[in-house]
Amino acid sequence: MKRLRLLLSAAALGAVSLNALADPPDLSGVWSITTHVGALKTVDGHAPPLTPEAMKVFEAHRAAAAKGDYSYDGTTECLPPGLPRLMLMREPFEILQKPKVIYFVHQLNRLPRRAYVDEALPTDVDPHYLGYSVAKWDGDALVIDSNGFEDGTVLDNAGLPHSDALHVTERYELSKDGKHLHLKLTIDDPKTFTQAWSAQADYVKKPGYELPEDVCAATPPDKRPRS
Amino acid sequence: MRNLIKTSLMLLGLLFAAATMAAPPPKTLNDSGDPTLALTPGLRGADKAPPGSPPGNPDPHDLNGVWWMSGYQYLLGPEPGVAPPLKPEYLAILERRIRAKNRGTPEADASTQCMPHGMPRIMESPYPIEIVQTPERLTFLHEVAHNLRRIWLNRDHPKNVPHTFLGDSVGHWEGDTLVVDTIGLNDRTFIDDEGSSHSTQEHVIERYRKIDNGATLELIMTVEDPVTLEHPYSYRRVFRWRPDVRPQEYVCEENNRNAPVNGITVAK
Repeated sequence: MKRLRLLLSAAALGAVSLNALADPPDLSGVWSITTHVGALKTVDGHAPPLTPEAMKVFEAHRAAAAKGDYSYDGTTECLPPGLPRLMLMREPFEILQKPKVIYFVHQLNRLPRRAYVDEALPTDVDPHYLGYSVAKWDGDALVIDSNGFEDGTVLDNAGLPHSDALHVTERYELSKDGKHLHLKLTIDDPKTFTQAWSAQADYVKKPGYELPEDVCAATPPDKRPRS
Repeated sequence: MRNLIKTSLMLLGLLFAAATMAAPPPKTLNDSGDPTLALTPGLRGADKAPPGSPPGNPDPHDLNGVWWMSGYQYLLGPEPGVAPPLKPEYLAILERRIRAKNRGTPEADASTQCMPHGMPRIMESPYPIEIVQTPERLTFLHEVAHNLRRIWLNRDHPKNVPHTFLGDSVGHWEGDTLVVDTIGLNDRTFIDDEGSSHSTQEHVIERYRKIDNGATLELIMTVEDPVTLEHPYSYRRVFRWRPDVRPQEYVCEENNRNAPVNGITVAK
């Protein structure tokens, strides 16, 4: 019995080290969101926990949108949508996976994202629309941490605001059959929300789909699709 | 008083001489000597990677990495300062555009409006280009205005190629040279920054080859256009291997102060 237990622990140890040595799953390919996300909800289906001040900003965005005034939304001028909104768009994106960099290339206005693998987030970074991203593998999950955001973008297609203190964590998990990708998002922004909260989105693989050349500036403003 | 004037004149003369020595008169289109056809001087472009950078990858079939052009020309002819072999009516259009630029009212082209730069112009960029190579494809991520090219290694051009800003590109290896063939270009872009015209029948062939043990990428660019060109022509460029450079977010749309008004680029 004792011997069996020893054997079993040896097997368990072997499995762990094999797992650590195994290549991470390959997320490469073209992905498309399965269910369009208009307004982000928490994983429990609640409204995000906005602070009272941020709630006023959000309500102002909603009131403007109701009157057809989207001037708060830079995507109407072809500016990048920021994160996580870019991941919630109808347009597909592709992942190019390399050992040191994970590239996300979006159909939407051909926007690229780079997540540098096994690096620390910079503490002092110029603000970018799509922030600064680092990635690591947590078992079979790809975890991307981003900060350094412009505060002029909104978090979702409903106009949810954020501040320059935004920290986004994305956790991507591939389904067993490799055809679906699940994203769990965590939004941490103490200037906008009373606590950190999580949301989710799902993607389906589009084998053989070539992303067309999408040029926002070549599309007249009244013809641009509204997300 | 007279001496003072004399000295001042001498000083002025010296200053003028120094100024002319520092800045020789700009080249003019095809050495015409016509100042209204002055060309924008080229840029020095990127140097080799700084000391201590990882060495280039000598594998001739692996083009992954960040590449940055050495030297940059605003006019993309067979030689610096020489126009592409444009047919007379298109040479006249180029002259019109150069004169408009020199008057301070350049004609608005696609890139002024944050659209892609077209071919071959996008490969003539003072910004870095990151190549991501995967088994079936090369993806060119250009820093400038997030231009994006996909070079397919696993298929031919589709039968009905749509006309796009950067066209449809397919590639294959000939020994250590990657040969890229591009068609399906719209005619909203110029061949170059000075304003040489191309048509939707433009056909561009690029030949890429690593030299210097992977520290340099050589490009032989060939441009054909039965509508605007008398005959095809080629030029050579080199890109430096720059593992120390990370391409940055470039948002043309953010601060487009040079917006076109009635076809003229106007600084606001």
